[in-house]
Amino acid sequence: MLSIWIGSFDQGLAYAGLALGVYLTLRVLNFADITVDGSFALGGGSAALLLSENVAPPLALLVAVGLGALAGAVTGLIHTRLGVNDLFAGILTTTGLYSITLRLMGRSNIPLTDLHLAIDSWPDLGLAADGRWLLALVLVVAGLIGLLALLLATDLGLALRALGNNPVMARSNGVSTGRGLTLGIAAGNGLVALAGALVAMYQGFADVTMGIGSLILGLGAVIVGESVLRPRSVPMALLAVVLGSVLFRAMIALALQLGMDPVDLKLATALLLLAALGLGRLRIPGVSDAGGKP
Amino acid sequence: MSLVVDGLRWGHAQPGGGWRQLFEGFNLSCPSGQFVVVIGSNGSGKSTLLNLVAGTLAADGGSVQLEGRELLGMRDHRRARWIGRVMQNPLDGTAPGLTIAENLRLAECRRRSLFAWRGLAGLHPSRADRRRYAALLEELGLPLADRIDTPVGQLSGGQRQTISLVMASLGEPRLLLLDEHTAALDPRAEATVMALTDRLVARLGTTALMVTHSLEQALRHGDRLVMLQDGRLIGDWSAAERQQFTPAALRALYGSGTVGSESPELV
Repeated sequence: MLSIWIGSFDQGLAYAGLALGVYLTLRVLNFADITVDGSFALGGGSAALLLSENVAPPLALLVAVGLGALAGAVTGLIHTRLGVNDLFAGILTTTGLYSITLRLMGRSNIPLTDLHLAIDSWPDLGLAADGRWLLALVLVVAGLIGLLALLLATDLGLALRALGNNPVMARSNGVSTGRGLTLGIAAGNGLVALAGALVAMYQGFADVTMGIGSLILGLGAVIVGESVLRPRSVPMALLAVVLGSVLFRAMIALALQLGMDPVDLKLATALLLLAALGLGRLRIPGVSDAGGKP
Repeated sequence: MSLVVDGLRWGHAQPGGGWRQLFEGFNLSCPSGQFVVVIGSNGSGKSTLLNLVAGTLAADGGSVQLEGRELLGMRDHRRARWIGRVMQNPLDGTAPGLTIAENLRLAECRRRSLFAWRGLAGLHPSRADRRRYAALLEELGLPLADRIDTPVGQLSGGQRQTISLVMASLGEPRLLLLDEHTAALDPRAEATVMALTDRLVARLGTTALMVTHSLEQALRHGDRLVMLQDGRLIGDWSAAERQQFTPAALRALYGSGTVGSESPELV
């Protein structure tokens, strides 16, 4: 029983990069980015391929982040250079990414059953086999939160936040919309690809379809986290997003425990998100406008 | 000359069909530090002129030089590095989700490319930055120094416009563009913003172009008054010459289209 909850906690942390990436693109930049569905699978697929070829896990993760960032940059460039609508730009990239990921993987599924990680030698914290993963993921996610909080507190981060908040004002203060959006979307998708790689490592395989519905999962984490913590500062917002990711996973685990057929998982996810949107009465740029009565 | 608009051309398609050539060889020269007030009826080209100078509209031809630097063809965010701008709508000039200090910091960095390594140097606005901004607001007589960490979205329209104005003055702009920046304000806020405008323009010594529909403002503020109609300069008066007019006389010029630089009959 405990291992199920620790497992869902682990998964929530593994998916935290996805939630942070969605937060960066949707909340900070006000850009509805569908690329995440493609970059999640790209991250998972590329990391799995490299790990199956005995490449060191940190290097595999770095490559996954780089490829995800590249995918995000492509979406950013399509949007800013060609003037393609944000949704269409994301759809174009993510459609292309499916073939690219499949080409990269060489097959639709790469198992990682023989994967030996450095964390296998860590103490298991007396919890369960997943205790090691818990510790590793806590460290990774804490690092990500710290790094993002620092980035968003620099002048560059301030420019990104201003761009999402009021692009007219940002431009009239010398901020380049094209560069800012491309950089921000690239960073967001780098985080998403990292999550894809961590999830592939955690679950022991990567599948070319593993990215389907990622945007909804990330969005769900952002909304649930913000509903619970109601953050007023950037670091708190980042914490809320990670908490949301964990809670979202826990809710899914709970639903499965209560006997829900896994076939209905996507429908349950969509309904859960809808409920969170309604209850939270949040303003989600690009998703809901007023978010309910004032 | 600080700002030289030479042979500016710009036209647009009209909703009912056809083409309207608003500016055809428009010229305007402003010496360094001059505060120019631009008036004219709706559609005369006042705001369009500001948009063409700021780069939010692309000119069809001509030249706009700021301190010898050609602005036409320069990308709008690059041009913005030399221009402080306050827009008509208080919501346009500030980022509501950012604090006063964060908005001011962004404006202060207008000259720097933030999407480079230097954009990562240090955490901003730092404590020192915030103290500096609070002191600046206090010095300018704005009662916002103790609200430096308040999101701008929580301020009133007038307060937002004062922040917008202070932002426009930061980062060493070479030109201030004020586009009917008091139009959305109540009389009290308008008086506050105009007093601040005079203080900031004098303090910076920067060339300024202010568009207004308020004839009272036109007669009271600035060093020079120009009137536009249909994209043409139909009146150009120094501060001394301007004293000849009453608001009613100036109002009579709106739409007449026949004003020269000397118009004693209108006194």
